[in-house]
Amino acid sequence: MKKKRTAAALLLCIALAASSLAGCSGGTAGENQGQNAEQGSSYGADSGEAAGAKTFVFGDTTFNAENEESDINPHNACGGWACIRYGVGETLVRLSDTMEIEPWLAESWENVDELTWTITLRDDVNFSTGRHMDGEAVKECLEALMENHARAAGDLNIAEITADGQTLTIRTSKPVPALMNYLAEPYGCIIDMEAGVTEDGIVCGTGPYEAVSLVTDTSLELVKNEDYWDGEPKLDQITVRTISDGDTLTMALQSGEIDAAYGMPYASYPLFENDSYTISGCATSRVFFATMNFDSEITSDPAVRKAIAMGIDKESFVETLLGGNGYAAEGAYPDSYAYGGDAVETETYDPEGAMEVLEEAGWTDTDGDGVREKDGQKLTLRWLTYPSRQELPLLAEAAQATLGDIGFDVQINSTADHNSIRADRSAWDIYVSAFVTAPLGDPEYFFNYCCLDGSVQNVGNYQSDRLQELAEELSGTFDTDRRAGLAVEMQQTILDDNAYVFCSFLRMSIISRAGVTGLVSHPCDYYEITADLDIDG
Amino acid sequence: MRKYVIRRLLLLIPILFGITFLSFAMMRIAGSDAVLQRADASGVALTQEVIDAQRAELGLDQPFLTQYFRWLGGFLTGDLGVSYVSGNDVFSTFVSKLPATLLLTATSILLTVAISIPLGILSAVKQNKFTDYLIRFCSFIGNSLPNFFVALVLMYLLAICFPVFPVISTGLSLQSAALPTLTLAIAMSAKYLRQVRATVLDELDKAYVTGARARGVRFSVTLWKSVLRSCLVTILTLLAMSVGSLLGGTAIVESIFMWDGVGKLAVDAINMRDYPMIQAYVVWMAVIYVVVNLITDISYRALDPRIRLGGEEA
Repeated sequence: MKKKRTAAALLLCIALAASSLAGCSGGTAGENQGQNAEQGSSYGADSGEAAGAKTFVFGDTTFNAENEESDINPHNACGGWACIRYGVGETLVRLSDTMEIEPWLAESWENVDELTWTITLRDDVNFSTGRHMDGEAVKECLEALMENHARAAGDLNIAEITADGQTLTIRTSKPVPALMNYLAEPYGCIIDMEAGVTEDGIVCGTGPYEAVSLVTDTSLELVKNEDYWDGEPKLDQITVRTISDGDTLTMALQSGEIDAAYGMPYASYPLFENDSYTISGCATSRVFFATMNFDSEITSDPAVRKAIAMGIDKESFVETLLGGNGYAAEGAYPDSYAYGGDAVETETYDPEGAMEVLEEAGWTDTDGDGVREKDGQKLTLRWLTYPSRQELPLLAEAAQATLGDIGFDVQINSTADHNSIRADRSAWDIYVSAFVTAPLGDPEYFFNYCCLDGSVQNVGNYQSDRLQELAEELSGTFDTDRRAGLAVEMQQTILDDNAYVFCSFLRMSIISRAGVTGLVSHPCDYYEITADLDIDG
Repeated sequence: MRKYVIRRLLLLIPILFGITFLSFAMMRIAGSDAVLQRADASGVALTQEVIDAQRAELGLDQPFLTQYFRWLGGFLTGDLGVSYVSGNDVFSTFVSKLPATLLLTATSILLTVAISIPLGILSAVKQNKFTDYLIRFCSFIGNSLPNFFVALVLMYLLAICFPVFPVISTGLSLQSAALPTLTLAIAMSAKYLRQVRATVLDELDKAYVTGARARGVRFSVTLWKSVLRSCLVTILTLLAMSVGSLLGGTAIVESIFMWDGVGKLAVDAINMRDYPMIQAYVVWMAVIYVVVNLITDISYRALDPRIRLGGEEA
């Protein structure tokens, strides 16, 4: 009897192990996953035409209160991002693939004088509530925006709006050359203020889909806007699921529970590089960059800054540590921008050259410990960064190795408390962070916030008279080509001073299962769910 | 008994005062605040004027003690404030997450009991036999694996290889609760079955078991009627501790399975320096630990009449 029980226990263990192996090893698992992905699992996205309705499930790691997207109200923090991304709201103008503004809800616009803009609205647009979108409706929306959104009010500087039929006249309190660009910001989504904002934060826009329910940090349910002005939306229902864990997002896509994913961890990409999935990626203007501390004894030395710029191997960082999911940077903007990419010249990776620069400046390794000294001071570089962006600690480690080879002692401080530490300029030499340099296709934003006297994020206390002059000119220049030219000159100025080192741009990707069409990444990262989105059976 | 219960409940007052003050202070020491954390997360630069205005709106420009006593005043009048991050009412947000946590606590405790007690007893009864070795080996493996790893393995096996359960929770259902429950139960059972085994072995060594055997009482009768009853106090203590921590939420498991409970809420609140939400969580934790421990102490008395509570006379 005892032997029988022992044998039964053994058999059970073997059977369990065997079935696990059979089910999960090698090709079988791949086939299962492919099958799940193509058909949608039994818990899946019920995609296709279940019960006669075309449905779609989108997994997103960023739709949460932590990212200031607790709802889809564009007048609340960053709710506009969710509003525009998920096809509920649309703005007066939109950004093209080359980040230039083009008409959307506005048919045309005219800059009458420095303070006055006239915007002509499309006449064939209704809100999902059925209300016609006319000048009065847009005026109500923009006035509510100015009242409730401090950042928008600070950007737009609108003094007065008047509406006459489909014409809107905006007077600003000071010249705002980039006014139309600012109106492309997600906070500029035009919503029906008569319908207002529900307790859950749901608004009614003009987009291809209409929100019907929202649970913060959990999900958003959308249905087709039957009265959409720009073609018929192809799906009946869409569910946007907040999935904060990258591994869970990966497995949800593998199991077919979601049809597409945004925010996939880099390590999971190889799982989807096959025919069962489509990866759509492009460079965004979110740059990982270093700011030099001009109050530091180390980085106030131009030779040290130059050596740092020459000592960071951007290409290897992108190819090896980011697995190709990024783009090495030259200046502040990616090459999809008219004033980005190789429009500027910067130092390239040259460890030998960097060593020569340091030698000439008197930084030599006299005691043979591998770290250079000058006048008794070690070439120690206190590298301040933070871990919430997965790329930043990796960049710190990569730079620690390559700069170490040329005689730096890089001491990394990667902390969530970087904001308070960076305020004390005696506590660091180089601050490495992530920043979206041109979210609206206009270059002024980056310089205004990061590089000028009094800029809120000029944490390194950089000062350049030449840059100030150019910034002054930029703030009063309305001509787009001249603005682009000024942006190049301004970048070149900060690069010549090696005040900043731009390392890489984020590659933003959306991964969808085979059969999903019309879901493509956009350099501004605003547009995801559109009327073109479709899925086959 | 009534006095004892009242005294224990009154202890909640200094506990709540002390713990809320400490947590409030520690979050300030941790640095940063909700305004800066939100700006960081969104990647959008804010002017100093906007930052100052947002801080003033949330009261973060006030001295620490003013902020604490303002929160305390609200708490004493039943107002836990609004979240700094979502702007929603803290009490209603917190309460909305409780059903998920309560369901997961109930299912994981039940499954843990269902696995660990029978296997622990079996392991003790079959001491140093193959069954004992097998159970202890499994327990060792279960103890060695971190929760997140077990969660991912279970997902892979039961949602991808054999699509029996969903990867992400689709609401409060047993089907959605299955994988998080299994994840928690595996870790807890692995720990408890060894404790149950040790307690049962200890009890089996006692003289009354030998005496019962000598008197010809069947072993199963002694085991079920005497040994197990004596072990219940130990088992109850273990379970009470687990119930306390489970009711506080299991942040990692909740995050992985997108289970919308209070653990994930608390971790998100800490990351974003959402002080009102953190304080609500701290109050909840203090209350559940005091209440669960009180219930456990009272049930000791019911299980073992020899136990006296709080100075009761024998």
